[in-house]
Amino acid sequence: MLKYDFYARYRKMGRAKYISHLDMVRVFNRVFRRGRIPVSYSEGFNPHPKISFALPLSVFYESECEIMLFSVTEDLSADELLNRFAPVMPEGLEIIEVKAGKPDVKHLSYCLYDVYCNLPSSDELAAFLALSSMVVPKKTKSGIKDADIRCDIADIKLEDGCMSMLLSAGSNANLKPDVVIKAMNKYINGYFSGDCEYLRKSIYTNDMVEI
Amino acid sequence: MLNIDNILKNVQKPSAYTGGELNSIVKNPDEVKIRYGFCFPDTYEVGMSHLGMKILYHVLNLRPDTWCERVFAPWIDMEEEMRKTSTPLFALESRESVRHFDFLGFTLQYEMSYTNILNMLDLAGVPLLSRDRGEGDPFVNAGGPCAYNPEPLAEVCDFFTMGEGEEVINELMDAYIEWKQEGGKRIDYLKKIAKIEGIYVPSLYDVEYNSDNTVKSFKPNCPEAKEKITKRIIKNLDTVTFPDKFIVPYTNIVHDRISIEVFRGCIRGCRFCQAGMIYRPVREKSYKTLTEDAIKLINSTGYEELSLCSLSTSDYTEFPLLATELLKVTEKEKIGLSLPSLRVDNFSLDLMEKVQKVRKTGLTFAPEAGTQRMRDVINKNVTEEDLLRSARLAFKGGWTTIKLYFMIGLPYETDEDILGIADLAHKVVEAYYEVSPNKKRPPSVNIGVSSFVPKPFTPFEWAGQNTREELRRKQQLLKNAITNRHVKYSYHESDVSVLEGIFARGDRRLNRVLIEANALGCKFDSWNETFSMEKWNQAFINAGVDPSFYVRERTYDDIFPWDFVDIGVTKEFLKKENEKAKDASTTPNCREKCSGCGANKLCEGGKCSVKI
Repeated sequence: MLKYDFYARYRKMGRAKYISHLDMVRVFNRVFRRGRIPVSYSEGFNPHPKISFALPLSVFYESECEIMLFSVTEDLSADELLNRFAPVMPEGLEIIEVKAGKPDVKHLSYCLYDVYCNLPSSDELAAFLALSSMVVPKKTKSGIKDADIRCDIADIKLEDGCMSMLLSAGSNANLKPDVVIKAMNKYINGYFSGDCEYLRKSIYTNDMVEI
Repeated sequence: MLNIDNILKNVQKPSAYTGGELNSIVKNPDEVKIRYGFCFPDTYEVGMSHLGMKILYHVLNLRPDTWCERVFAPWIDMEEEMRKTSTPLFALESRESVRHFDFLGFTLQYEMSYTNILNMLDLAGVPLLSRDRGEGDPFVNAGGPCAYNPEPLAEVCDFFTMGEGEEVINELMDAYIEWKQEGGKRIDYLKKIAKIEGIYVPSLYDVEYNSDNTVKSFKPNCPEAKEKITKRIIKNLDTVTFPDKFIVPYTNIVHDRISIEVFRGCIRGCRFCQAGMIYRPVREKSYKTLTEDAIKLINSTGYEELSLCSLSTSDYTEFPLLATELLKVTEKEKIGLSLPSLRVDNFSLDLMEKVQKVRKTGLTFAPEAGTQRMRDVINKNVTEEDLLRSARLAFKGGWTTIKLYFMIGLPYETDEDILGIADLAHKVVEAYYEVSPNKKRPPSVNIGVSSFVPKPFTPFEWAGQNTREELRRKQQLLKNAITNRHVKYSYHESDVSVLEGIFARGDRRLNRVLIEANALGCKFDSWNETFSMEKWNQAFINAGVDPSFYVRERTYDDIFPWDFVDIGVTKEFLKKENEKAKDASTTPNCREKCSGCGANKLCEGGKCSVKI
């Protein structure tokens, strides 16, 4: 069977942030059928559309830079695919662009997030970043364990109304901003973040090339 | 719009509460005259699987003047968060409190959901009892199969709909708009709709009891109320509107697929089965309409599975044609086709082969009883040889797992009938070793045994229900009789069955019990993790109601609390069937011979649609 590789960049905003990563597979399966997109299926007893995501997104996180990889069995243009996606997407999910080929997910290393919450002062943030070690409970494959997250924080900046965090991402090291917030609440004296909103802005390779 | 973002962070399934799913309908509240909350008294995952809700949601939202939204019972984690933050029960589409909606309509699918209705009203801030509601409060109403005996909820609901909702709901909405224009009082609307066929307004009737608590009389207390309430049916199922879109949930629900309704009613006449009586007469859709329904829904939802909905798929007269047409569509679109309640024969096995390709999951049979005498008592026209022939066919075709459903506690049952269940299961295992091409793989014969609950409008509506002690004795008797290790046995909790029986044939006095149960925190009674028999026992004591009264055997002289409802099928017919049950004498199905059940009077010109 012929196979043409593509990837779609999409937003996950508003109420769509409550859709779990596992549910996203089912959502796209139905999007393909509604949009008459001839997606490639897996072989075997129980064929299902072969799709993958560049980097899983937690529930309650919004994103402007999600990437879904798929292939189709007909020779269609990226523009045609975008046209088929657009009218059949559920609320909160919006395809920004479709590109032929495969993105460089092998080298995916960093992720940039905006965090909306009570902000620390610039001095407090500077003192926080000057720490050589930050130990907080972190979810790992073998349960919740204390971990030192300092080396996975590349940079944190104060922006207008939010904090911008550049953190390690990918299969080798992955840090999520809610864990950083936990560390800030623990290590910055008298600071409390309050309820936070998270927005994934972009993902990068180890050479800081946007994927 | 209520802000629930923060509480959603603390619940297991946030996407069950967010709304905004594909094909959900949002209207401008300023442009509609009626806000209708369609309430399913169970979780989102259960309620969203229900076809009736999809139909009524579609029918109501076709009206430009009405906005119908969905309301579900929040699961216990969500309820805790809602109560902590004083968040009222809300509708998913608008995320607005339902406190001042015009209607809250509950569907009564099973008796064990009744406490959820009270809990939902409480969460909404709506008075629990009809008499405590005033001007500006929503009209609380209910319909669905359990509404045929509405009395246990008569003091909670303002009115009930008997029969098929899509036939009558527009008349209710039109009457509401008229009533609003007339500027009438609450009672004026209720009296107005009491004149519509199929509508029951309990406050317009008085019940008197004998000293032994049986019903002495049941009488209208105003001229608008009818003596008899006749159920409403869709006369032509083929032309009635059916949704061309289903809401597509994000989270996994129980039946996460397209469901098309093949026919209503059932030709079989099993004597324990309420659905088989209340949905009569049989009305079919044409295979062409069904194929069109399927294609429209596939295009609008993108679902990966299509299922047929009816009481007995094999009895659909155009089944081979339908199966062929649907297979064309599903193969092209890579969609799974599931065929529930199919009788096993060469044709259906062949079909399952095509549909399921390689995966041979379990096949299910429902002999319902263990001996031929008992199957004749319940008029389940299946012989042991039928069952074994089907099982052999399936085993030859490579199936190894078979599920068998049975009931215990049936009327006129003896211990021999219980032991017959084990015997039959053992014969199925033997059949496997006779014919299976792959005898090295062991078979798996799973028998699921539920406890019989006598239901109104069945030939067994007079039957006494086994006590929980008797049911437990029979469950153990069967357990000890199963000697083969390939037979796995599971059974239902008898407490729940007895309680279900109490409410199924209950009267108005049970409203008090429900109020007490609600106050004690009973909810989600069909869920093991929340059901508490201790609380229910306390509720009966607090209400001063003796539960054993409701499980008793009734006499032909009894006035039933539900006698004022006319389902088409006559009480005379039910009596005749009960008498035949005593002699273990069977009744042919509707296509073999008409038995004169009476449901034909609901059809156009009194002519039954079943062709003999």
